[in-house]
Amino acid sequence: MKRPTVTRRQGLAIGAVLFGLLLAGFLIDGGRSLLGDVTGVISASYFAAVFRFTVPIAFAAMGGIFAEKSGVINIGLEGLLIIGAFGAVAALWGLSATPIGANIWVAFLLAVLASTLVALLFATVCIDFKADQIIAGLAIWLIALGFAPFASIIIWDRTNSPSVGTFPVWEVPVLADLPTVGPLFSATLPVFLLVLAVPFSWYLLNRTTFGKWIEASGEDPKSLDTAGVDVRRVRYVGVLLSGVYCGVGGAGLALNTGQFVGSGDTMVDGRGWIGLTAYLIGNYNPIGAFLASFLFAALDALQLQLQQIAGFEVSSTLVGIIPYVAVLVVLTFVGRTRMPSAAGEHYESDE
Amino acid sequence: MSGVRARIEASLDRLVDATVIERLQISLAALGFAVVVGAVLVFVSGLIADCPDPFLSLPGLGGACYNPVEVYWTMATGSFGSLAALGRTLQETTLLLFTGLSVAVAFRAGLFNIGTQGQMILGALGAALTALWLGEVVPGSLIGALIVIPAGVVVGAVIGGLWGMLPGLMKAYADAHEVITTIMLNFIAMGIAFWLVQNRVGNLESDSVLTHTIPEVARLTPTIGGTRFSLWALLAALIAALGIYVLYDRTILGYELRTSGVQEAAAEYGGVNAKRNIVTSMTLSGALGGIAGSVYVMMVQYRWQDGIPPLGFDGIAVSILAGNNPIGVIPAAVLFGAMKSGSVALNLSLGVPPELVEVLRGLIILFIAMPEFFRMIGKRYGYGSDPLATDGGENV
Repeated sequence: MKRPTVTRRQGLAIGAVLFGLLLAGFLIDGGRSLLGDVTGVISASYFAAVFRFTVPIAFAAMGGIFAEKSGVINIGLEGLLIIGAFGAVAALWGLSATPIGANIWVAFLLAVLASTLVALLFATVCIDFKADQIIAGLAIWLIALGFAPFASIIIWDRTNSPSVGTFPVWEVPVLADLPTVGPLFSATLPVFLLVLAVPFSWYLLNRTTFGKWIEASGEDPKSLDTAGVDVRRVRYVGVLLSGVYCGVGGAGLALNTGQFVGSGDTMVDGRGWIGLTAYLIGNYNPIGAFLASFLFAALDALQLQLQQIAGFEVSSTLVGIIPYVAVLVVLTFVGRTRMPSAAGEHYESDE
Repeated sequence: MSGVRARIEASLDRLVDATVIERLQISLAALGFAVVVGAVLVFVSGLIADCPDPFLSLPGLGGACYNPVEVYWTMATGSFGSLAALGRTLQETTLLLFTGLSVAVAFRAGLFNIGTQGQMILGALGAALTALWLGEVVPGSLIGALIVIPAGVVVGAVIGGLWGMLPGLMKAYADAHEVITTIMLNFIAMGIAFWLVQNRVGNLESDSVLTHTIPEVARLTPTIGGTRFSLWALLAALIAALGIYVLYDRTILGYELRTSGVQEAAAEYGGVNAKRNIVTSMTLSGALGGIAGSVYVMMVQYRWQDGIPPLGFDGIAVSILAGNNPIGVIPAAVLFGAMKSGSVALNLSLGVPPELVEVLRGLIILFIAMPEFFRMIGKRYGYGSDPLATDGGENV
């Protein structure tokens, strides 16, 4: 069976639709001389911001790919991002009271660990206790959505944490000093990790035995079992990887601003859901998922930058919903992806 | 084709075979486990939180601020301990009945409507604007109320229904998964409502994002003094539950709605227009969410205001706890209503964050999602033929 992919024409359509939406968003909101402002915003530092914004979305998306390709649909990505974000800030805050001190690298690792542990819980529930994956994923999201503000109040007496510190900015020698494109080469750890993780994930999935196992576990677990590979174990690894990736994404998000915001939908604010859609648009390919995430992040960053232009009256709420509208448009009119055939189903070894 | 038919029959068998008793056992067991996990969470939180006089001092760990037994007891008395508490509980119950039914209607048709929250937010705005506009025109008497209040409910239902119809159409005709589309639509609904109220239809003088307060004539008269609970609204919600039970379990349309979502292809073979039925189910579900919003405005808040409580997400828990049975939604809504009103007392008297209820909500959903867990526990403790099975017929 031929796997349908997003063709070039569809890609163009996505771009056109997104741009049209952006225009419509501004026109509804009063209509300004928009084009000049948009082009004025686009610069190397704008793209540097886009990379930062891409971190949580793309990591969630790539994590989701590993889980779903292995046969477990993880719609709890949003919840795992929340755990990663909260975990990073809480860990950094807690560490400052210990002999270790406020070490941001340790806090980062602890956040990834926390997210991975929650993913382990999800994996156990789905694989060993044969839970309905959609409902269990929802539960993971809702638990995280309740737990993060709950714990924030316990620790800080309010839903938002105080500022705890951010990642140091690293500069790539020589490149960072280049004119025009220089700002692209001074970034924080999560951005560098992202740049590495995209090709790494692609390689892992497409060029290694492990990648073949993941694929088979989601497409044809029976054959994989016959070949002597433990389907259960492969699926566990797939889900755990989604926990690791979301931990990196969530911690990257929170340690970028140095604060956890737990009010409303928390600071994650739907990025996990957008990530989920990004990998559907990218048709389970990490590179495609990254590009889709980048597109969403570009919209988000554009909206923020336009707000900062004095006298530019633009409703942040209205522009803020554009990524969500874009997701709907894409899912409805373009995104015809094919799920792994055994995704969502339990696999029972015959032995 | 016969294979497909066999599959649909098997899945319908499973639905029927999972008897009410078994579902009840699963729900109660899940509830019990959630309460236990919640108690551990509360206790551990108490070790981290600061308080002047801990109820227990543990060597090496410091003082424990929250006594789980006291926490649950405070929730119980805070929800049923006085007439006013009962009123607040029933007020929450009424809203949860509507959102729970909204989710259940979709679930019965095999659809996950996570979008009740957005449908409710927009329905609430529609009802608030209707009440503000009509309230000016009609006489301030019973006759006026009999015009404004039903109009508000109808407008809320229509707006919520249309908002629910959207993901239904996307599901039926573009195969877009309703979980993702409804969640996206929640964010969009919130953005649209917020923008409209902030910039166009709201009280523009106020620093907060809210509409003007609806007139007296558009408010549901409180039944219990000191609260805003209206018995009429509760009765309407109970009638809705009964009506949906009859629709889904006693009529042909209900049967078609159920099968269309569960097995679209098989339903089509049987001459049922499955696509249309998916849209119908989602519209009905959205309308109930919209009504929840109307009732919220006319009974509780008396205006649309930013920060509408997550009743739509509570509705998911209510429906799942009820096994998606419209009648089962009634006790589940009472339970969650009690938890929500009890959490207010919990915060006031013990200082435990009311978000605890949201954690419990998630835990309950998680435990109900895994009947196998209880079956394994049952086996370990010697209940041989797994009395807690939900999926009759499947051999493991």
